[in-house]
Amino acid sequence: MKRKLAAAEIPARRRSLTGLSPLLESMLAGALGLLVGVVVMVIWGYNPWAAVVALFTGAYGSLTGFASALAKATPLLLTALTFSICVRAGMFNIGAEGQLFMGTLAAVAVSLVVLPPGIDQIVRLVLAMVVGALWGLVPALLKVTRGVSEVISTIMFNWIARWLALYLVLNILFDPLRAEKTISIPVSGRLPLLMRGTNLSVGFFVAIAFALIVYFIVWHTVVGYEIRAAGLNPTAAKYGGINSRRTMLLSFTLGGMAAGLAGACYVMGTPPTYGVFAGLPELTNLGFDGMAVAMVGRNHPIGIIFSAIFFGGLNAGGRAMQFRAGVPLEMVRVVNGTVVLAMAIPELIRIFPLVKSGVQRMISSVRPRRGADSGDTPSDPDSSTSRGDATRKEERGA
Amino acid sequence: MSLDYFWMVLIMSLQAMVPLVLTAVGEIIGETAGLFNIGLEGILLMSAFTGVLGAKFGGPWVGLLVGMVTGGTMSLVFSVITTRLKGSQMIAGIGINLFALGLVAFGLAAGPLFVSEGMRLRAIQTPVGMGLSPIVIVALVVPFIAYYFLKRTRAGLMLKAAGENPEAADVAGINVLRVRLLATTFGGILAGLAGAYISVSWVGSMTKEISGGRGFIALATVVFSGLNPLLALVGGFIFGFFESLALWIRNSPALKALPTQLIAMTPYVVTLLVVAGVIGRVRFPKTLGEPYKRE
Amino acid sequence: MSAREDVKAPHAARLLRAEGITKVYGDGTVAVEDVTLDVRPGEILGMLGENGAGKTTLTKILSGLLAPTSGRVVSPRGLVRFASPREALDFGIGMVHQHFALVGTFTAAENVMLSHERPFSRVRAGQTHARLEKLMEESGLRVPLDVPVEKLAVGEQQRVEILKVLSRDVSLLILDEPTSVLTPVEVDVLFALLRRLRDAGKSIILITHKLREVSSVTERIVVLRHGRLVGDVATYSVTREQLARLMVGEMAAQTVGAAIELAEETQLLGQDEKRTGPGILHVTGLTVRGNTREAAVRDLSFDVHGGEIFGIAGVEGNGQSELVESLGGLRTAVHGRATIRGSDILGKDPRLIYQLGVAHVPEDRWKLGLVLPFTLAENAILGLQRRKEFCGLLGFLRKRRITAHVRQLMERFGIQATGPNAPAKSLSGGNQQKLIVGRELAKDPAIIIAAQPTRGLDIGAAHYIRELLVEMRRRGRAILLVSADLDEVLALSDRIAIMYEGRFVAVGRPSEFDRAQIGLLMGGAGAKEAA
Repeated sequence: MKRKLAAAEIPARRRSLTGLSPLLESMLAGALGLLVGVVVMVIWGYNPWAAVVALFTGAYGSLTGFASALAKATPLLLTALTFSICVRAGMFNIGAEGQLFMGTLAAVAVSLVVLPPGIDQIVRLVLAMVVGALWGLVPALLKVTRGVSEVISTIMFNWIARWLALYLVLNILFDPLRAEKTISIPVSGRLPLLMRGTNLSVGFFVAIAFALIVYFIVWHTVVGYEIRAAGLNPTAAKYGGINSRRTMLLSFTLGGMAAGLAGACYVMGTPPTYGVFAGLPELTNLGFDGMAVAMVGRNHPIGIIFSAIFFGGLNAGGRAMQFRAGVPLEMVRVVNGTVVLAMAIPELIRIFPLVKSGVQRMISSVRPRRGADSGDTPSDPDSSTSRGDATRKEERGA
Repeated sequence: MSLDYFWMVLIMSLQAMVPLVLTAVGEIIGETAGLFNIGLEGILLMSAFTGVLGAKFGGPWVGLLVGMVTGGTMSLVFSVITTRLKGSQMIAGIGINLFALGLVAFGLAAGPLFVSEGMRLRAIQTPVGMGLSPIVIVALVVPFIAYYFLKRTRAGLMLKAAGENPEAADVAGINVLRVRLLATTFGGILAGLAGAYISVSWVGSMTKEISGGRGFIALATVVFSGLNPLLALVGGFIFGFFESLALWIRNSPALKALPTQLIAMTPYVVTLLVVAGVIGRVRFPKTLGEPYKRE
Repeated sequence: MSAREDVKAPHAARLLRAEGITKVYGDGTVAVEDVTLDVRPGEILGMLGENGAGKTTLTKILSGLLAPTSGRVVSPRGLVRFASPREALDFGIGMVHQHFALVGTFTAAENVMLSHERPFSRVRAGQTHARLEKLMEESGLRVPLDVPVEKLAVGEQQRVEILKVLSRDVSLLILDEPTSVLTPVEVDVLFALLRRLRDAGKSIILITHKLREVSSVTERIVVLRHGRLVGDVATYSVTREQLARLMVGEMAAQTVGAAIELAEETQLLGQDEKRTGPGILHVTGLTVRGNTREAAVRDLSFDVHGGEIFGIAGVEGNGQSELVESLGGLRTAVHGRATIRGSDILGKDPRLIYQLGVAHVPEDRWKLGLVLPFTLAENAILGLQRRKEFCGLLGFLRKRRITAHVRQLMERFGIQATGPNAPAKSLSGGNQQKLIVGRELAKDPAIIIAAQPTRGLDIGAAHYIRELLVEMRRRGRAILLVSADLDEVLALSDRIAIMYEGRFVAVGRPSEFDRAQIGLLMGGAGAKEAA
């Protein structure tokens, strides 16, 4: 085999930094997000430090603040799971938003029937999961039968769901006393609050439980094994008798369930309204934000739990930030977006040497130079780092 | 229905078609080179926003220009992340969308931005009393230029090679990364024009919903077109037509009975049906969506 | 013969000199180490070496695709440095790659046009055509110019590659393993062309790992091993044994012997009397469509019995992959029947097929055999994941049993890795293949279908895999061996078939054929039906 240099022999600038853990990368992405947020605030004329302080103290500085953070984290946790489960199956499910809308309304719709407490909540949660799953299943079926890109179809379904939800809220499920919202969930259907005066309900534990169940399914059962295998290498999986169509459908079903559950937990656990307003303002960004949570959480349920708490904190702190520092809470979305952009880059840590060499190259391109150092073509730092790729070179008859 | 109605619907459709066609043709160029940019929606939104700001300071044409620069810059960021930094195209695109959504929402926090008459692009007057934006002409011409470019120039060959088989292109001396960068950036410029058009020329206001999913409908148009700019023109017109029809029905007193929300769904449903019907018959560059590593 | 002879020549007779070339990748892998090499006009230089020796890397550096970590390239005009293959082409160096650098949807003419002309010029089809016609006449290489290249046969595609490079009027032509996709007749045509080019004063570097080829057409041979240049000799002055020894270095005499054996004539490993058992695989009238909608396998019928190795020889691309895929459940057959011990397998789910006793060593271990990001343990149960011993109540995986199973495999097959939870992509090619073979054999199959089982492996690993197959045969299993390595097929098989364009053009015992005959048959000339 090819000889490998001992670690000490490798010229310092070539030493691969991928040994660093994924945790560090997620943290770096988060830091970059905040940095960009600060820059934007400065450009717009706000005082960034007051904002950041308000953000973090609002989220983590007090018990009520932290409870808010956890409450905000609940739906994000679940929509993140939606995205992640499907990513593990090799698909991009952008439809958490639509699946969430449908699940929410399903939970509200149960109010048309009178049920005893205990049963009431369970029926709502289950129905929300079923409806969410169905809404996610249709794009999956389109992909499996007609090869339609799930990216496009889930987004279309998001918009269809939005208009459908709007229609239902205004025309069927509306509250006769306040027409711009749905009927509220009756007391028998509400999720008990964990802390008075906050939005934190049992829904948080429901979400955690769901996350743990997902973890066990995906990593410790045959079904999960098959989903992951088909997601990573559908052809080899086929050889192993795994039907990748089945795994795709399963993952979208599970993902849709998570999204539906997210909406249900929200509407069943959020005082004082326990209902949905026309225009769906509170529900609107949960789907997309969930994706950011998923990526930072590395598409793993345990990581997602922590990531959700972080992003929930950001959202909760956002209100405090708006209140105390006057910065519109949409700033948090800017941070979210930057974080996702940062997470798109594999081996984010590489960014530092790359920026440095990019600047160097810009300088040297102004003064053309030929020599051993400038022969450092862009391909070098990007070449493979694992032996497997070295094997590939061997395969090509190096 | 009198003939006037026909003309009005036609004009509405042409107006609605513009952002779809421009964005789609831009994306066709990018996808031919191998990059799949799902962040078009974010680019539309952002350039609509900056377009209005530009128009505020320098008039409508400046606004359009600013929009184009915005689109080009955002696409540049996207392509640097996905080519030089070997980032995932899907995730980078989602990031662009989120970022744009956030920044525009943040910037609009004070309330919707109004486009005064001085900022708005003057429309060409038509006999039926509805204005037609001059950008419509641009949208009608660009597909033909793009078609010629892709089919008949060597640069078009280079693009296709970079998308189909980047190794072969590399060996032939083509700088694959640079080609992809340029192609996507150019696509972004067109999308930027589309976005600015929406706010400065067509709708005449700026809200955070103004892009309305058009970025994604443009992607569907690209699928429908099979990477042929002329078919993108057709597809854009079809989708624009349904959008206008929905708007027409919602605003016409005679048809008030129909539920507006369900009508509003039609463009998206149509998109779905078209995409579902067309897939499988079109062929995309082999390496679309995969970063290129030179070994 | 000394291990390294500095062949000195007057400066003027040199086209290029590569001095002290070293290439180290970002992860520390040393691909090429301190190689110094002369390239002379009017000479065919053979570059010999095992997979992984550094041949492709070195030539990629020469042709401008890669930059060396250190070292330089000198021409009589001074220092030479290429920032891109285009610059190398402008200088006069062109490379024909092992995996063609062609854009499938383009025609031959369009592929050639890619390396010419300025960006915004109109595509001048007429001019290019005229130029190509002339070139085709001069070189004797004919290809259809207006058909999308992906529809051409592999041999034709290679001709397009060569034409592409020749159209740039190169002075150095590098060919990377050109004969791996050619029939023996096509190889002769290619070599005749190379000789003509050499006589016209061009330099040619021929990369190969086939000793026979290199002896027949080159004037000088350089041997690379583990990135180092270990030999630079005149062809006539060296024997194949010496070359083999240079290639593999000082290894156990047995392995060298095995290498030489396989490089020479056939040697049937321990096959004497008919000890074959009952028929296991029975195929009749099998017709399978390839990716281009044409029949890749046409009306094939054959049997494989227990205790025998049935080898299918033939140049890759004649339907072997499609045949194996249809027997493995990955591709549906259009017509025909295939049974394992009486049960139908065509069109069935792969898991069902394996339950009927079929094990499969696929030809592309990354695409088909392994899920690279998975651990060894996870890969070891691929296909077996629903077995009672690995999967318990509610579908929970029995992790402990799985780990024990994989440890067993690691021990039995000598798979080297940091542990059962190491990701499969961290293994070397040989160990990956051992993992796959071990996993398949653990299924206790009645028949093993092995497609290109030793491709890309070093001599030690290849030998080990072959021994395993022979051992399985001894134990009464049936083995269907598909390999583009003719020597391997001849050495291991009890019966062979030669596949050409989807059909068996000959079936019989290896001893019934001579090499020249096989060469012709592989190229499609003549047909001989034997029982």
